[in-house]
Amino acid sequence: MDALRALVVDDEEDFLETIVKRMQRRKVDVQGVESGEAALRALEACPWDVVVLDIKMPGMDGIETLREIKKRSPTVEVILLTGHGSIESGMQGMRLGAFDYVIKPPDLDELLEKMAQARERKMLHEKRIEEGLS
Amino acid sequence: MSRGASSLPESLSRHFVPFALVALAAVPGLRGDLVFMACLLAVAGLSVYFTRRRMQQIRAAGELKERLDRQLIQAQKLASIGELSSGIAHEINNPLAVIAREVEWVQSILKDEDLSERKSLDDIEDSLREINRQVDRCQEITYKLLDFARKQEPLLQSLNVNALMEDMVKLVEKVTTKKKVRFVRDYREDLPLLHTDGPLLRQVFLNLLNNAVYAVEDQGTVAVATRLEDDGRVTVTVSDDGCGIPPENLNRVFDPFFTTKPQGKGTGLGLSLCHGIVSKLGGTLSAASRTGEGATFTVRLPLEQGASSP
Repeated sequence: MDALRALVVDDEEDFLETIVKRMQRRKVDVQGVESGEAALRALEACPWDVVVLDIKMPGMDGIETLREIKKRSPTVEVILLTGHGSIESGMQGMRLGAFDYVIKPPDLDELLEKMAQARERKMLHEKRIEEGLS
Repeated sequence: MSRGASSLPESLSRHFVPFALVALAAVPGLRGDLVFMACLLAVAGLSVYFTRRRMQQIRAAGELKERLDRQLIQAQKLASIGELSSGIAHEINNPLAVIAREVEWVQSILKDEDLSERKSLDDIEDSLREINRQVDRCQEITYKLLDFARKQEPLLQSLNVNALMEDMVKLVEKVTTKKKVRFVRDYREDLPLLHTDGPLLRQVFLNLLNNAVYAVEDQGTVAVATRLEDDGRVTVTVSDDGCGIPPENLNRVFDPFFTTKPQGKGTGLGLSLCHGIVSKLGGTLSAASRTGEGATFTVRLPLEQGASSP
């Protein structure tokens, strides 16, 4: 199986750098961006399996970004991250189609496992659509 | 396409040059046979030249068809790798409309020209008709996908329900800072993996936990448990020791828009959504409660989604 392609979206530079490096060491094909707008541009540029998305960001926040991602690339799975969580935004995110929701700082093994599950779901999703077309 | 422009020099060359050469042959002193040979070569050379140009034009038309075909196949690929919201569906229809217009345009240009090679023209027209047919088919696909997108079936993966619930409990635990709420877990060991939709189940658990925390007020206990029943189904319960649900509300608790929260605090949709989700997953959601004695919400799910269908 190809390396998992992940996009990490977080306005906290230090956190972003650390998590991207650690994921790279685990052979994830990962890129980090610092805003929702940048994430949408990256999504347009090339295909991604999973987006790890911070909920609280200035400008375009996580929920808005999630909405746009689901509109433009519906099969890309999104895992929400939060440092100052509120159940409501987590639930809202889940209702909007997020795959899962984890608290910062995330345990890397756990996060990687969730990302693998998320990618599996994406493939099931795409398969179902293709079957629907035949 | 410059068909009109090339046919004049072409006919001139084809007819004038040979005549010029024949006229030269009449000039005394020039060897007639050599001039005749030169004339033949000239005519041959010009024919080759103009035939090559004609071939280039046909090739260009062929390339246009290929490019349009590729765009079409790409459009179909895009359609098949994503569920279409109506916005995306309309986006696919726009380039299709442009392709259709291009087709009309090429057809009208070709109609105006006086191409002497009828067969290649027929081929081009056939290709264009085929493009039109594919365009119609793409539109059919987008309509079919729009219909398909409305039917949201759960996506099934093999999941550890204990882990799934624990994730949500940890989340709610971390966030519940305003009260003294104790979370108690009682997970059945070796619970078999459930073939179900993770994100949907997470929504349900999060909702039930949220309600339980709300019910507890200043302090209390929220207990979660998982069991494997004799009939092979998995039971997940979320209980609280809050104020409980009065009997007159108990039957209405899953009704949409029913809420006992003060205005603006709850939409009343949570439990009805949960009920709908659990049904979609082939299970049941029920509530038990006595006033003053807290409430217990029970989710019962089959191990395999199709297992309990009638």
